Amino acid sequence: MSEKKFRKRNYWFNIRKELAPGCGTILTVCSFSIPLLVWVTVSYVPFIWHPDIKLEISADREGVTTVFTAGDRVSKEFFPTFLKGVREENNLVLSARKENNPLSVTRRENIKRLRHLAPLGIANGWLESDEQQNDKKLFELWKGLAEGTLISTEIILNKENLEIIKDNWNVLTKASPDFNLKLYPTEALLKLLPQGVPSNPVYLPAPHEVLSAGWSDFNTVPENGMPTMWERYRHSLTIIFWGFAYSCMLGIPLAILCGSFDFFSKLHEPFIDFFRYMPAPTFSVLFVAFLGTSDAPKIMLVFIGTFFQLVLVIANTTRLLENSLIEAAQTLGANRRQLLTRIILPGILPNLYNDLRILLGWAWTWLVIAELIGEKTGLTGFIDTQGTRYNFDRVFPVIILIGLTGFFTDRLLHWLRHLFFPWTEEARQAPKGLLTRFLLSLNDRNTCFWHTK
Amino acid sequence: MMSNSLELPSYLEQSSAVSARFEKLQNRPVKLKVEDLTKKFDTPKGDILALNNINFQIHRREFVSVIGPSGCGKTTLIRILAGLDFPTSGNVFLEGRRMEGPGAERGMVFQDYTLFPWLSVKKNVMFGLEIKGLGKLNAEAEAMEWLEIVGLAKFADAYPEQLSGGMKQRVAIARSLANRPEILFLDEPFGALDAQTRSSMQAYLLKIWQNVDVTVFFVTHDLDEAIYLSDRIIVLRANPGEIDELIEVPVPRPRSSGQFLTPEFLATKKRLEELIRPPELEQNEVIPMIRLTEVGDEVE
Repeated sequence: MSEKKFRKRNYWFNIRKELAPGCGTILTVCSFSIPLLVWVTVSYVPFIWHPDIKLEISADREGVTTVFTAGDRVSKEFFPTFLKGVREENNLVLSARKENNPLSVTRRENIKRLRHLAPLGIANGWLESDEQQNDKKLFELWKGLAEGTLISTEIILNKENLEIIKDNWNVLTKASPDFNLKLYPTEALLKLLPQGVPSNPVYLPAPHEVLSAGWSDFNTVPENGMPTMWERYRHSLTIIFWGFAYSCMLGIPLAILCGSFDFFSKLHEPFIDFFRYMPAPTFSVLFVAFLGTSDAPKIMLVFIGTFFQLVLVIANTTRLLENSLIEAAQTLGANRRQLLTRIILPGILPNLYNDLRILLGWAWTWLVIAELIGEKTGLTGFIDTQGTRYNFDRVFPVIILIGLTGFFTDRLLHWLRHLFFPWTEEARQAPKGLLTRFLLSLNDRNTCFWHTK
Repeated sequence: MMSNSLELPSYLEQSSAVSARFEKLQNRPVKLKVEDLTKKFDTPKGDILALNNINFQIHRREFVSVIGPSGCGKTTLIRILAGLDFPTSGNVFLEGRRMEGPGAERGMVFQDYTLFPWLSVKKNVMFGLEIKGLGKLNAEAEAMEWLEIVGLAKFADAYPEQLSGGMKQRVAIARSLANRPEILFLDEPFGALDAQTRSSMQAYLLKIWQNVDVTVFFVTHDLDEAIYLSDRIIVLRANPGEIDELIEVPVPRPRSSGQFLTPEFLATKKRLEELIRPPELEQNEVIPMIRLTEVGDEVE
């Protein structure tokens, strides 16, 4: 007798049906890898987006005040205009030279034009980053490039620019074969043409840029006595810990009283309900005024941000405890105190734990605001400083770190739940923690959908 | 139908053994006395008289059931007796003491088990004992004794969620009885159980009641259950909730499920049916029959 396996049609999309664990794992992995993949693709495949040109060699134009330097981004629409402008200026110089009436400029201007080669020198390692204005070294650079003894490998110079370099070198050596700033020509030199590679806007750095920026930020000790990233991280964690701890210490007892006694509920909850609609950040000025600029107003803001929500949520959780459990305890002789400590508290504990997990997530949101009031500190202080300087490759690692911290504390607390509350139903079912499930699913391939034979 | 075709005795007719038993019961001290109990609910549509002028008394070790149509105030009555609700007027006396609020001397078993899910079965039974001030060791020993009586000793360390409905209710009964209450209130305790579990639970309850000095007040809507278990049955009428009749069950003890078809049992049941659903009401009910599809073989 041949066994016929029951085949389910439409395996993946069933309303309110759980997928097999293997399929769940696949989707869990996908939920992380798809956004990552999008990021990687947009960053490294040039024709998908890349709306800007990141300048490697820059130039300035006559009468235009905006100066672009190497590393700046200009939009693809603007770049040709920019290029054309510089080229026209060069053409003027060349045509004047042809008519034996060369244009003359100040020596200073010529030195400036020669210095445009500096980023290329730095990129190739011929110059240190603080030698942008070392004209002697730059002189050697022009010489090397013009005579072909130096070849730039980091930035491939286009033909036009190579011509310009040779041309300028001729003018330079005509004036003086050796380096002598005083003998620099006053005949107008040509300007290097702007050159660049397609890139994404500055606010979307590529993964490797984010990784390397993060790696160096977290491994270097900043100068001028600023805290290291790990100190900042610890500082942020301290603020969130104390803000949330005070919130719990005061909020949980009050919430349980409100949920248990109508007296406290009617007395406190209307005001709390009103107060929580007043945006906590607007009080920050007040906190700074009476708590100073140290950590106290920050802790206070996390406290205010979470306290009122916490009281209302947990009071409600308390009210959701089945009344019949309280009545049963009463018929067994429990008095009011015993009802609170022996029925209500243990009865709501699993739900209270879950509420706190969710509220802890909110505390992170408040932390970000808290760190910006008074003296900017912690991870957010760093994000703020680097953000205003457009160093988004240094901003993203910190944002990701905050995200990961929140995510993993939540997962850990979720996973610990079944250890704390062995009587709940989930504790008796198969381990449900993401981590455990993930590890299990690595070993267990039989539950995968393609093994249905 | 069947009960009409049989020659049934009157439900008031008692055998000499039964009447002798009732005489003895009457001579026992009064355990619970209910006096002019009234309960009014204020609703936007006006007052509803849930209970009106309820008077009865229960003697020691008696088993009294309350039945009545739904909405007649059975649950309100038992909750007032257990002290979980307050009457609008009237008094409840337990051995002559006026009762107010819940207390350990009046145990209660609810329909939805109400075991504490965070405590093991043993700890659930120990709950009342520990509150009474019994030391942990004594409480544990006593709890184990009670679990032995309800046959669940080997589940002592399990959590309530791991038990079936019938087992949970046995733990709830053990938990109440471990407290040695003067009177045990049961509010439709077997209502959520399937038929087989229910009948075995009924037998269980009778056995426990026979072995323990406890007075039982039992609310149900199941007529068979009421007759099978009780000495007397209070029949409530709805709107307003009043006592319709107080029936002395003429079925002799000890009871067994074999008695379900005896003439006394059937006569009592017939009377209860009449009280709960008056016959004139039944005739007025005409359910229109419309056949939407025909099978075509003319089998009714």
